[in-house]
Amino acid sequence: MEMNKQSLLKKIMELDFVAVDLQLYLNTHPCDKEALCKFNTIVNQAHMLRQEYERLYGPLCSYRSPSRYPWQWINNPWPWNYCFNFRMSREEL
Amino acid sequence: MWVYEKKLEYPVKIKKPNPKLAKYIITQYGGPDGELAASLRYLSQRFSMVTPQARATLNDIGTEVSQCTSPLL
Repeated sequence: MEMNKQSLLKKIMELDFVAVDLQLYLNTHPCDKEALCKFNTIVNQAHMLRQEYERLYGPLCSYRSPSRYPWQWINNPWPWNYCFNFRMSREEL
Repeated sequence: MWVYEKKLEYPVKIKKPNPKLAKYIITQYGGPDGELAASLRYLSQRFSMVTPQARATLNDIGTEVSQCTSPLL
């Protein structure tokens, strides 16, 4: 997978990961203003990056993302394909 | 409802593909004692929760767990 695509996707994954954790925390701490503020910031950021990614590289979701012609969703790669492997920061590991 | 996104929850790097291990992992996910079964239990339990916190948490954990052990999906 090309570098820009991968780093953009990784950024989205990072933001989503944080959003999921904050969301679970907020379920049991609904009055934590600081956490809520962080959560909103991250959701907005992830939304913007998602739109950017989809504009450049195709749909992330089958029915919530617009598609170029022809229908792009069926194209490779899928997350289980080999080229989806991430380059880790300490590559030698 | 289930919403699929063409990305992983957490980055994965497979150095040496290992079909045998992959089979074990996929069983941990979809097998009889797997995460998928657990996630459906959470989703059933949420109906009898009394507080909104517990109801939401079971709803969301059930959603989450169905993705958790699925780096291959």
